[in-house]
Amino acid sequence: MNDDAIILESVSKRFGKLEAVDGLSLTIPAGITYGLLGPNGAGKTTLIRLIAGLLRADAGAVRVLGASMPDKAILARIGYMTQAYALYTDLSVRENVAFFGAMAGQSDRARVDEVIALVDLAERASSLVSTLSGGMKQRVSLACALVHRPALLLLDEPTVGVDPQLRVQFWSYFRRLNNEGVTIVVSSHVMDEAERCDRLGFIRQGRLLAEGSSASLRQQTGMATLEEAFLAFAEGTIVTR
Amino acid sequence: MTIDFRRVRTLAGRVFRQIIHDRRTMGLFLIVPLIVLTLAALLLRAGQASVPLGLIDQDEPIDVMLVGEVSLAARITQTLRTTEGVSVIALEPGPAAEEALRRGEVRGIVTFGPDFSAAARDAQHISLPVRLEGSNPMDAFALQAVLTRAAVQALASLSPLASQLAGDELPVSIETTYLYGGPAFDNFDYLAAGMMALMAIFFAFILATVTFLRERSQGTMERLLATPATRLEIVLGCMLGFMIFALTQAATQLIFMVVVLGIHYAGSLLLVFLVEALLVIVAVNLGIFLSTFAHNEFQVVQFIPLVIFPMVLLSGMFWPVEELPDLLRPLAYLMPLTYGNTALRDILIKGWGLADIWPQLAALVVLAVALVAAAAASMRREVA
Ligand SMILES: Nc1ncnc2c1ncn2[C@@H]1O[C@H](COP(=O)(O)OP(=O)(O)OP(=O)(O)O)[C@@H](O)[C@H]1O
Ligand SMILES: [Mg+2]
Repeated sequence: MNDDAIILESVSKRFGKLEAVDGLSLTIPAGITYGLLGPNGAGKTTLIRLIAGLLRADAGAVRVLGASMPDKAILARIGYMTQAYALYTDLSVRENVAFFGAMAGQSDRARVDEVIALVDLAERASSLVSTLSGGMKQRVSLACALVHRPALLLLDEPTVGVDPQLRVQFWSYFRRLNNEGVTIVVSSHVMDEAERCDRLGFIRQGRLLAEGSSASLRQQTGMATLEEAFLAFAEGTIVTR
Repeated sequence: MTIDFRRVRTLAGRVFRQIIHDRRTMGLFLIVPLIVLTLAALLLRAGQASVPLGLIDQDEPIDVMLVGEVSLAARITQTLRTTEGVSVIALEPGPAAEEALRRGEVRGIVTFGPDFSAAARDAQHISLPVRLEGSNPMDAFALQAVLTRAAVQALASLSPLASQLAGDELPVSIETTYLYGGPAFDNFDYLAAGMMALMAIFFAFILATVTFLRERSQGTMERLLATPATRLEIVLGCMLGFMIFALTQAATQLIFMVVVLGIHYAGSLLLVFLVEALLVIVAVNLGIFLSTFAHNEFQVVQFIPLVIFPMVLLSGMFWPVEELPDLLRPLAYLMPLTYGNTALRDILIKGWGLADIWPQLAALVVLAVALVAAAAASMRREVA
């Protein structure tokens, strides 16, 4: 893998009058887990959709895995887990995972079963998605994003509704993927989860407030927790860059 | 059991607010019936277009006491010229006349033979041979009445006593022969083509619209668009998926019509199926295209009358397209049902083959391609 997986240069995206992403620049090196942190409506999902090429930036450049987005060809190497589980509820778990795998060019049955086992749903592989619990659906959604072994994983609040034990498992799996060179972008507003990211970006009103490792962000603000650090940046008491 | 009317009122209020927030549903809700009613009014008020009737006149005049030289054929022709609902076209005997009927320039031909007047005088009875095109059952009724009246008048002018002499029985008989169809064909046979086409379109349209709407509302469309699949691939793939069911339905319905309902047909059933397949492709893509304009199931339901009613009214199922008011005729040519109905009628009733119906098929192919492109383009996505 070469150095940077994602490069955003002064990217803007408007919805009507609202600047959902406002001249944001960001570079994410390959093989790390990057956390996007921010309150509701900060622009995290919009940013992820820009990276996935689902939206075209009004201004600025989005480069992903060396390609200028939107670029259809590069999508085979991206796994996107949407914020609300987006699944065919009238298909079984296996049918869903196999479908999204095949769409991205992965039609190996063994791989499908492997990711289903990974999200701990081997016993429910033949169940219709409509009969699963909320957290299980979330896990199927993750499996669909992973199945084709993407080089870049975009996860929009992946652990919402997932129980603590499985959440720990997820994070150790993410770590393993990182070691294999996979880049992961995670959005979240769960701060203790954010602690696990290699780097964090604080986002508010479509702008990047601050960036760095969890430790350095806390250190810069002199705060003990990420929450307090975030609030300090949000109030503008600390000015970086 | 008690009813808490405050709760009932709260529920009613919620339903009211939901609908009022959904502007598009409100708009469709109020406007769709007005559109359909306007269409119907335009159609029904347009006045009956006249049926083109060909006349072959070889009649030789006869001498009638007190009156002089008389041709009954000429008298009937004169009456017909002033009759509303028919327009008279003089034809020469021979194959050209039959060809005019085949091409639809006239919808019936009355032939007055050389001894028409003489025979009528001798028998005190007019026997009028009429050859009908036969693909529109309404023609038979309309022409029968008009011709009988004209003949009775002509006969009366010949001898004022004639009608009284004959008593109750009319001294006129119409001998009808058909180019297509014929007495064995009943009204259902004539409507079968339109019904088949309509069913094929209707269910394929609903299936596609609802499935695509669901794809969008459950978020899987977003996910699909984040795969390497292009919009055209998505449209074509979904189309094929729907087609399997829509074609199964078309085949079932065709077999049922033929085997159980015993419809008459003159042409190839395979060709019927081909037309239905084309109709299904058009309808599926129309559904995909229109589903982008529907944000919820409510709106989809409103599209049904908006799309289906005008098709039924304008497609030629009931009123021949050529006779539609000028304002509405161009609309009819935008509708797949028009081509489907015409093609199926040509096959089932007229027994026409591919060589004759290809213009309808070509029109359906053009519509299908245009709609595939429109459906792919309309899938909301700001990127290439
Ligand atoms: N398709 C859209 N049309 C109009 N406005 C939109 C659209 N998508 C997002 N927005 C607006 O853009 C802003 C950013 O939304 P976004 O979904 O990116 O936030 P978020 O950071 O993901 O929030 P959350 O934590 O709640 O998921 C919000 O104000 C939202 O209302
Ligand atoms: Mg979001």
